[in-house]
Amino acid sequence: MAAESVKSASEALHARARAMIAAFEGGREMPEPFDALAADLARFQAAHVPGYARLCAVRGIDPLGITRASQAPAVPAEAFKVVRVFAFEESEAAVTFRTSGTTRAVRGTHAMRTAASYDAAALAFGAAMFARGLAGARVPVVVIGPSELEAPDSSLSYMCALFARAFGDGRREPAFFVRGGALQVEALRVRLASLPREVPALVLATSFGLVHWLDALGPHSVPLPPGSRVMQTGGYKGRSREVSAADLRRAVAQSFAVDERAVVGEYGMTELSSQFWEATLVDPGARHGVYAEPPWARVVPVDPETLAPVPDGAAGIARIEDLANVDSAFAVLTQDRVRRSGDRFELLGRDAGAPRRGCSISLDEMLSAGAP
Amino acid sequence: VNRTVEDRVRDVRRWLDAARAVYADRARLTASIAASTGLSIEGVTLGFESLELDATQEQLHALVAAAGSAAHIHVILSANVFIAPLRAIAIARAAAARVTVRPSSRDPTLAGALVAAAGDPAVSLAGHRDAVPASAERIDVYGRDETIAHVRRLARPRVVVRGHGAGLGVAFVARAHAGALETLADALAADVIPFDQRGCLSPRIVFVEAAPARAEAFALALHQALDHRGSQVPRGSLTPDERGEATRWRETLAFAGRVWVGADHLVGLDASGTPAMALAVPPAGRHVLVVPVESALQARDLLAPIAPFVVSVGLRDADPHCLVAPPHARVASVGTMQRPPLDGPVDRRSL
Repeated sequence: MAAESVKSASEALHARARAMIAAFEGGREMPEPFDALAADLARFQAAHVPGYARLCAVRGIDPLGITRASQAPAVPAEAFKVVRVFAFEESEAAVTFRTSGTTRAVRGTHAMRTAASYDAAALAFGAAMFARGLAGARVPVVVIGPSELEAPDSSLSYMCALFARAFGDGRREPAFFVRGGALQVEALRVRLASLPREVPALVLATSFGLVHWLDALGPHSVPLPPGSRVMQTGGYKGRSREVSAADLRRAVAQSFAVDERAVVGEYGMTELSSQFWEATLVDPGARHGVYAEPPWARVVPVDPETLAPVPDGAAGIARIEDLANVDSAFAVLTQDRVRRSGDRFELLGRDAGAPRRGCSISLDEMLSAGAP
Repeated sequence: VNRTVEDRVRDVRRWLDAARAVYADRARLTASIAASTGLSIEGVTLGFESLELDATQEQLHALVAAAGSAAHIHVILSANVFIAPLRAIAIARAAAARVTVRPSSRDPTLAGALVAAAGDPAVSLAGHRDAVPASAERIDVYGRDETIAHVRRLARPRVVVRGHGAGLGVAFVARAHAGALETLADALAADVIPFDQRGCLSPRIVFVEAAPARAEAFALALHQALDHRGSQVPRGSLTPDERGEATRWRETLAFAGRVWVGADHLVGLDASGTPAMALAVPPAGRHVLVVPVESALQARDLLAPIAPFVVSVGLRDADPHCLVAPPHARVASVGTMQRPPLDGPVDRRSL
């Protein structure tokens, strides 16, 4: 297929994904079943993403015969680290996100031919789960993380900038408070203390950024305006001391003088175009640690060995089906352990596993080792 | 205690005598070792063939030189490859007039059998929960990095901790040997099979210096060799984590390259040509990544990010000047990677 017709096929699939997102925003029924778009994505990706057809072949799956998302093999997140996982020429990429590096610097790459579906998905579900109730009001947005300029290939910085533009009040004050890899404690303190009290604020932060903030703040607090909320995302990756999710949430709530339910977890991955949110702001019965999916994405716990879905209520690794991932892999196999919890999923984190046998080193051990 | 080099060599020879006695009695130990290691019975039998039964005087002198010196050494063993206790004890015995050995709680059989067979009054077993004796001047700990770090944290001041961590083996097939791919593939399979590849000497990546088609031919030959040898020495049981890792690796390689799936093994071929691909290091359990390269220099560059973890490099001829081998790594002929001479620690990174 010529590049132009691949592009037009891709655009048609993007349009269908965005139609689902728009229907969600408008409170309308989904324009088509999840499986219908998933099956077309699987066929498109098998035809145009190098490697996906091979993966289907090894699994004995004919892409043309796929009618349900569950029939399509998921691409391991590791594949994004070693080869290109996209259906276009690299020069056509509109944005390229990379996973955070480790000492050994094996970074996953997720290139997108267009960011339109990513933007639509992030804003629609972010508005519903995090910025809900602001009735379209522009509010101060404070990011405890680096800006897009500072971290141009970080999907998280991109999303935070997107939120700052979409939900922010457009004031000139800087929104990003990590520069040169360091938290700007005093600037952040001044910014938070100067927030107008009559409108809520949105604080977007990584877990390790929050730990640095709390360590710098000590026993003091900087109350946010009433109705404010805090997004907490990501792990620690050795960038700060590690704190349990519950302890961090409690400390964050105290330091900002907000209700713990206003500290909302976000779960996303560089390899995806959609995000998942805790529902504590929108559902009084929702628990922390349990995440909601938008209608265009699913999280399926699967057996790590067979890759088959595990029985309801059992833990498995997350197979994520994301219909906004048009030009890469709509189904991604992660290493995160999850468990279904009603119509949501509980994030259980990575499993340390049983002690290993023998003295052969694992790739994870190599990647997490410090410089020798 | 002033022990001469010859005293130390003699003390080590006593442990080689013990090894021969244990080897002769191996049938009695096999079931127990199979149960604790997860290896098949045939796998244990094969593993015993890597147990050091003899050494030249020159090798033992090298071992003594590498062993250092201390009055009392405490050896902490982990669930390493099951023959590892012999070398660990021999090194400690070469260095010290008194040795205490804490076997792995998960895999205590061989250490116990060796100590019993040696009848060496200088060496005694410690219980799994016993603290490090106060008189120990040095601790030789064999295990994963986190275990070594834990021992270091708990060690008393002035106690030396020698850590022997985890690692991996790699192999390099030079262009000059492209005509002997099947022979080399079979020899490499002989290095992969022992201990179900859970040892730090076990090769997991092979660089093939040739056109990609030759690398593919080598991958296929290796797949066939592993099939053949695997039918004689079946793989034992993998843990759930190991099985899960194998699945992920298979899926990753199926996407990123090509994969041959055997009953007890996987062989993957890097068809991507991207530098990061060489870092798709397979998990243990008889899984090998074949990477085509244009030169030894390219192999060295691809390997660079993980070179600090490479313990052994296999070549057709054990050329110590091969560019692929990091300076600390052992260099061996393929087919003999699992039988390094008893001349010091298997893992030379600790020296």
